[in-house]
Amino acid sequence: MSLVVDSITKRFGDVVALDGVSFSVEPGRIFGLLGANGAGKTTSMRIVLDILRADAGRVTWHGAENTSLPRRTWGYLPEERGLYPKMLVGEQLRFFAALYGVPDATARAEIDDWLERFRIPDYRERKVEELSKGNQQKIQFIAAILHDPEVLIMDEPFSGLDPVNVRLLKEAFLEMRDRGKTLIFSTHQMETVEELCESIAIIDVGRVVVSGAVRDVKRAMGRRVVRLATEGDGHGAEWLTQVPGVELTTRREDYVELHVPADRDPATILSAALERGERVTRFEIAEPSLEEIFVEYVGRRAVDESEEHLASSSREGAA
Amino acid sequence: MTSLFPNAFHVARREYLVRVRGRAFAITTALLALSIAAVTMVPTILAAVGVADPPRIAVDVQAEDLPSDPVLQLQVALIVGSGNDATDGADANRPRVTRAEDPEAAAQAVRDGELDALLTITRDDGGELAYEYLGSASPTNQTRLIVTAFAQELTIADRLARAGIGAQETAEIFEPPAFTATPIDPDDTSEADDFGGAFILAYAVVILTFMAILTYGNWVAQSVAEEKSGRVMELLITAATPRQLLIGKVLGTGAAGLTQYLAIVVAAIVGFLANGPVGDALGVSGQAPITLPDLEPATLLALSAFFLLGFVLYSTLYAAAGSMVSRIEDVQQAVGPLIFLAMAGYFASFTGLNDPDAGWVGVLSLVPFFSPYLMPARMLLTSVDIGEVLLALALLAVTLAAALWLASRIYSAGVLLYGQRVGLRNVWRATRVSR
Repeated sequence: MSLVVDSITKRFGDVVALDGVSFSVEPGRIFGLLGANGAGKTTSMRIVLDILRADAGRVTWHGAENTSLPRRTWGYLPEERGLYPKMLVGEQLRFFAALYGVPDATARAEIDDWLERFRIPDYRERKVEELSKGNQQKIQFIAAILHDPEVLIMDEPFSGLDPVNVRLLKEAFLEMRDRGKTLIFSTHQMETVEELCESIAIIDVGRVVVSGAVRDVKRAMGRRVVRLATEGDGHGAEWLTQVPGVELTTRREDYVELHVPADRDPATILSAALERGERVTRFEIAEPSLEEIFVEYVGRRAVDESEEHLASSSREGAA
Repeated sequence: MTSLFPNAFHVARREYLVRVRGRAFAITTALLALSIAAVTMVPTILAAVGVADPPRIAVDVQAEDLPSDPVLQLQVALIVGSGNDATDGADANRPRVTRAEDPEAAAQAVRDGELDALLTITRDDGGELAYEYLGSASPTNQTRLIVTAFAQELTIADRLARAGIGAQETAEIFEPPAFTATPIDPDDTSEADDFGGAFILAYAVVILTFMAILTYGNWVAQSVAEEKSGRVMELLITAATPRQLLIGKVLGTGAAGLTQYLAIVVAAIVGFLANGPVGDALGVSGQAPITLPDLEPATLLALSAFFLLGFVLYSTLYAAAGSMVSRIEDVQQAVGPLIFLAMAGYFASFTGLNDPDAGWVGVLSLVPFFSPYLMPARMLLTSVDIGEVLLALALLAVTLAAALWLASRIYSAGVLLYGQRVGLRNVWRATRVSR
């Protein structure tokens, strides 16, 4: 059994935020929810969490309706971070744990353990407002998991983190998965999704445009990517376009990237190169990247922080 | 439906601790307690610094054949008029009336402020008594009022004497008539000795209720708006139900407010009690104490119930109002209607205090939102049928339940609405789509 989101629809006034969104997440896996701003990721998450009610459709976890599940089933890291700025870190985390029914002694031990893991053990007696943004985010993450939820739902968990903290958070994700937890998160960082997620769903304007295992999604694109580098001045790439079916998509300083339809063997490119007497220094067959897939489905680039903020502030009501 | 506790308790506990531990709370409470204690000490302090000095009057008697000794009579009139028991209290606290041996010197003493007034009594050509009062000319001056009444009485007695009526008959003429007031209701306490105390208590209850609603209600709204604008709300709403959050918030803030109230009331009591010893130490005896009416335990219980239910009712709606705004600056706008409602009840009860038996007061004292002020005031000032009290309480409780339901819906919808204009329409639309 798994987490099943079954054709949920949600309207805010005249705005259709979600239009029959469906996807499913296998237990114990990490799932990526991708989409441009305002696509409906946050609304979907809120409906799964039962903070919002869908107009139609349903959400089940292990076959049970989410509306009947206890709140401690879920852990949530909202996109807009928020903690009590003037409360001490330890006290604050214990408060949230208490709301989820965690005994205080357990909460204390868990808090110490996670602060240690995040390398901020002496922040327990500090006020939240004294912490850097990255560290506040770590506290927020701890607040989301202290009650040992079965499903962890995180909205843009990596935004605003420096590379070191991104690494720490990724490790925490894997730790949670190894404990058997199910993780769902949204992000604009496609490399992170490639690195962590077994399956994904891409949402665009309230509809799921593609979902499933990352491997299947990539296969479904019907092509593969070949990266080729040859010794020399790199001018001779034009001949590649003569190879049937091959499309030259990117020309870089150090290599060229080609799209090869699924029904063609990429090895023909290599043999063609060797036949021409090229000295091949790099030959790589790859699936299309998620970034490419995303852009192709959604039709615009995913990562553009400045645009992101403009968009999010005007769409918050419906996001 | 998820059970209310223990989450409402956790929320309340956090709210209470954060509130009470805050520096602002400590400072405000200390200042309020100090000022209340100071206010209760005002009579003693005034006596000590001499502002409330007993009047000193010199009488220059130029008229002959007066029916009684004006010095003695004025002395008695002043003692009675100032409310002081002549047999009690230190000498320094008693009005002093002397015969002006040297009118010129006495007039000078009045100008120098050593005497309060110089009263000259003469007889004109027609034999009528004439008075000249040198002192504060203010018509509301208490001493002057007493002296005027004394002059009237002395003149009448003098005219009677000149008409040949004897002292015995004159005394009979001045004998007060038999006058008894019988209340319609045998339980009516408004004619009792402690009516003054009951009146003060009624005022105090109305003011305290009003202040609690305005101050602590505002705390609730502010605190909800803070959670929302600080975005911690989204985390809270995932961990607990809106009802738990709402009730916890109201209870926690209410408890913090009551803590502050308790500090103030204790300060007031300490201030009252300290009046005597401090007065003695300063050599001035305290004013006549105000006797508070003896309250039946049942009355006390009812008063507490009205206070608590009324407070919770208003706070609940304040919380809902706070959940409707995105920015803390907008809170005042959102709570405006509630302030208006609270003020309406407040002013209605102030008018009602002067006529607690009026029909409209009776009706309004049953209406929720007004009953927390008016019913306690009525109960203290007049006799109220127990059925009416219970009806008012029941109506209040039902309204509270409805308010809780409504506020929870507004809350759960409002807390997720950001960046939109405050408006009941927006929120109402949202309540229909949220859970």
